[in-house]
Parts: sequence; structure tokens; C-alpha cells
Amino acid sequence: MIQLKQIEKSYRTDTIETLALNRINLSVFQGEFLSIMGPSGCGKSTLLNIMGLLDAPTKGEVLIDGRLTTHLSDKQLAHFRNQTIGFIFQSFHLINDLRVLDNVELPLLYRKVSASERVQLAKEALTKVGLSNRMKHFPSQLSGGQKQRVAIARAIVGRPQIILADEPTGNLDSAMGNEIMDLLLHLNATEGTTIVMVTHDETMAKKTHRLVRLFDGAQVNDHTLKQVYA
Amino acid sequence: MISHLFKLIWNKKKQNFLLITEMFVSFLVMFAVFTMIVRAYNNYRHPLGFEYDDVWVASYMTPENIQSDDSAALFQDVLRKQLQSFPQVVEAGFSGHNFPFAMTMSNSMVSSDQNEGVMTNFYNADDNYLKVLNAKMLSGRWFSKADDVSKSPVVVINRKLQEELFEGKNAIGKYIEYGGDRLKVIGVMENMKDKGTYTPVENGLFKRIDAGAAKWTSNILIKVKPGADAVFEGKLFKALSNTIGTSVEIEHMDKKLTRQNKLSLIPMIIMLVVGGFLIINVALGLFGVLWYNINKRRSEIGLRRAVGASGNSVSKQLVGESLVLSTLALLIGLFFAIQFPLLKVFDLPASVYLVAIALSVAFIYILVFLCALYPGRQAAAIYPAVALHEE
Repeated sequence: MIQLKQIEKSYRTDTIETLALNRINLSVFQGEFLSIMGPSGCGKSTLLNIMGLLDAPTKGEVLIDGRLTTHLSDKQLAHFRNQTIGFIFQSFHLINDLRVLDNVELPLLYRKVSASERVQLAKEALTKVGLSNRMKHFPSQLSGGQKQRVAIARAIVGRPQIILADEPTGNLDSAMGNEIMDLLLHLNATEGTTIVMVTHDETMAKKTHRLVRLFDGAQVNDHTLKQVYA
Repeated sequence: MISHLFKLIWNKKKQNFLLITEMFVSFLVMFAVFTMIVRAYNNYRHPLGFEYDDVWVASYMTPENIQSDDSAALFQDVLRKQLQSFPQVVEAGFSGHNFPFAMTMSNSMVSSDQNEGVMTNFYNADDNYLKVLNAKMLSGRWFSKADDVSKSPVVVINRKLQEELFEGKNAIGKYIEYGGDRLKVIGVMENMKDKGTYTPVENGLFKRIDAGAAKWTSNILIKVKPGADAVFEGKLFKALSNTIGTSVEIEHMDKKLTRQNKLSLIPMIIMLVVGGFLIINVALGLFGVLWYNINKRRSEIGLRRAVGASGNSVSKQLVGESLVLSTLALLIGLFFAIQFPLLKVFDLPASVYLVAIALSVAFIYILVFLCALYPGRQAAAIYPAVALHEE
């Protein structure tokens, strides 16, 4: 589903060049739930951003569903993200001036979907995450867990093949974190959505199919969890 | 997308209130400026209705020894003949003190059987006045010697007065009431813009300078041949001074027009400068607010990019939001502006207000578009990963 070939990412300032990712080779298979772990600053989020076409690698190639994305224009990348990828962020990234339903509709605004169909799909997505009774609320009226559910609804409303989750439980207590994790597992199991999740939490990571560990921008481990935790 | 923009704007109505107010005030300022410009342009487009090139004005004090009406009329005849004896003089005619481009005016209310009271400028003119200024008669005739024996005082009116007082119907032979007198209309002439290029056409009524008025009429309009120079002007001055015996002043009508036009343009220039400064302030304000908004909304921009918005569509959305806001401000502004033609404020034609409204609307849209364009482009250049990371 996702193939990263010899990915390098470096940030250059006037005086120094920092290598954030160093020759990463990784394949994520369709229907897989993969977690990425590593210490802070090891390049997990950078890797996720590159997979999600939110950032471009300095070197290397990103293939999604067999398609090389390196030379796509800004418009093509935006279309690709819209059609293929759903994002979940640690800090939710909800638009506070829009109601829950409008927040969930957001990805559909950039597709040729009628207003009534948008509402219908957004309602369905909110029902899936158990927030059908909070559609008219503003994000400020929701708890952290509810906000993340809205973010998940927004990520799945366009029925993407891939969901990229950057520490989705990082801002939540363990109970809420478990709820969100269960929701992601359910999505993966029932819809067959490929999920890549960055996390610091071993407990969450062990619930996924496969764990990739990064250290100082390099991939140091790649194991299926059965082998690691069996 | 439009409904999405409306939702976003409505949900942020408190933050948008000041911006809408700023655009609304800008619209009103521009409406005032454009009304003045459109009015001046309409006036400018209207022909003067007479020729002022090579027309000089000789003003003098009637000598004290001329006491009776008959001697005053005789004195004017002498002067007229003296002027006509110069080969460089084409024609000479007497006028009251409010000749074209003079800084004086004389007006009063007149009425007719059809219409009660309209404000009208009064002019005193002799039989040669029309020829000196090469003004055009529309119907009837100009004054002549035959009017000396007329039973009732005769007048010539302009086209505008005929339209206002007689509803555009032929006024020849009809009477105008003024101060208890009944003035018989013998001619209708084309409108004359005697107050300058940028002033409006006003109602005009010409009274004949008869023997009774000669004593109070001390301005001679002299049409000279092209090329009449300062040497001739000096000669003319000398001759008139010798005949009149009091101070004489000769002015050129084209120079008087230039002076008159400057006076008309000064308030317009002041208003334009004030309006210009206001617009610069508004533009800077809008630009600053939009720039600030975009920086405040970097996370939202990053998110939109992540869920499928291209840089171009983010830019379009921000410009679109600004244009929707300006539309709301313009709707409020239009409500007030449209009262001006409806209530006929300042007695200006409705077309002036309507054109000014259209220009103001276009101006505000262009201003907002330009002010939103650069911040919008800046937003489009934000890299999604960077914007999302900043949160």
C-alpha cells in the first residue's frame, strides 16, 4: 500500500544540517495496522508526514498504491491526500469556529459531493464513532476523547484506504486512549483500512499488527508484534 | 463551498464585525467621493453653450454726471459705437454684473401658471449679448429695438427653466410671475454654463437692459478678432478710459474661466486627498487584519491542506471569505446609499447616485480583492507539515 524507498530528510540552517530521517525503507501492506515508536525527535512524525504527502523527502521515493508520488504537483498531491489518506493528529486540529458536523464534512468540501450527500456521509461517520448526539456542538463543548472521535470521523468520512494517526491517544487519559484505540482497531478489522500510527505508548503499540522502531532518524527494528510480544 | 464560507463567517461574527464596519465606512466615503466626481464629470460633459474665446470684459463705474435713464442709455450707445469703430472688435454688448464666469450671482424664485416657484438666476443683457457670446436660440427670438415699445416686460429663458416651469412645453408667449410683475417669454435659448466647466446647468432668465436699467449696467462684453493682442488691449483701455472718465478694468473671459474652474476643483481635490488617505488607511487596515487572520489560522490552513485543499484553493478560500465579508458590508452600505436617489437628497439626478453606487461597489470589491490576494498567496505557500507542527 505504502512503499518508502531510501527516504532521507534533512533540515538545513545557515550553519548546520540536521538529518531527520536516514535511508528508510519501509513497506506498509494493505489492511495492515502498523505502529511506529521511538524516542522524541527520532523522526516519527516526519516519517508519517512523508507517508501522508504532507512533506517531501530530501531523497528517496514514496509510492502509494503503486504510484510514485515524487513528481506530483501541489494540486495532484492535494487530490491524492483527499482521495486516499485520512489524518488523525495528537492535538485533534479541529476548526473551533465550525460545528462538529461541519468539521467532519471538511474533506468532502474538496470533492465533487453534493451538500446533502456531505451531510449524510458526515452523519454516518459520526454515528460510527458514537457521536451522533454531538453533531451541532462546537469543539470547545467537547471532551478530549470526543474531540479525537470527531477527528477520526473526519478522517474516515471520505472512506480513505489509509489512515495516518500521529499520537492519537497522546493527549488523552488511559480510558479515553483505550476507547480511541479500540475504535481504530475496529475500523481496521471491519473496513480493512490500512492504519499507520505513531505512538509513545507500548500498550497501544502492542495492539497493532506490526511495530517499527526508529532511533536518530534510522529504522532500527521492524517486527510483527506476535514475534515481539509472544 | 460558498455555504461553508457563510457558516465560517457567521460563526465568527464577533471577530468579523469590525472588519465589516471598516468596509462599510469605506464604502460610504467612496460613495461621497464618487458622487462628487460623477456630478463634476456630468457637468463637464455638458457643453458650455456659448463661446468665450476672444471675449473680453470691460468693467467700469458709471460716471457721476450721468443721472437720468435717458442719458445712461445714450452713454451706452456712445460706448457701443466707439467699440464697434475698432476694426479688431467683432461685437460689443452690455451685461449686468453676473456675466459669464463673474464671481457674482443674482437669483430669485419665479413661477408660472403651471408651476409654483423655482429658483432662477437672473441676467441683464442687451440686444447684442447673444451675438457676442454666440449663444444659441432654441425658439422665439432674442431682444431687439422692437421691445422698447412692448406693453409688458419681455424675457428670454433657458431650456432648463422652460423644462421646470412649463414642463418642457413651448414657453413662447407665456408669462412668468416675478415679484408681482408678469414677464412675457419671447425666446428660449440653449442652456449656458456661466459658472464654469464643472458647475451644473441652472435655471436662467434674461431681462433686457432698457433705459431704466442702463444706469446700473456697467459691464461690456467685447468679442474681438483672433489675434487681438496686448497692444490693442492698451489702445482699447485708453479709449474707454478717455470716454468714461472713471476707472476701467479689462479682463479676458478665458482667464476668468480658468480661475472659476480652479475654485470648483479645489473642494473636489481636497475631498479626493482626504478620501485617498482614508482609502490608504482602509487598505492598510484590511491588509493587516487579513494578514493577522491568516497567521492566526495557520493550523486551520495546514489541516485544510492535509484533507485535500491545494495551495490555490486555500488562497481562493481566503480571498473568497474577504469578498463575502465585503458583500455583507456593501449590502448594509447599499441600504443607506439607495436612500439618496429615493429621497432626492441634494437635488441631484438619480443617475449620479446610481453610477456612484456602482463605482463604489466595484472599488470596494477591487480593494478587498487586492488586499486579500497577497495574504492569500502567502497562505497558499504554507507547507502543511509545518503549519500542522506549529500547533
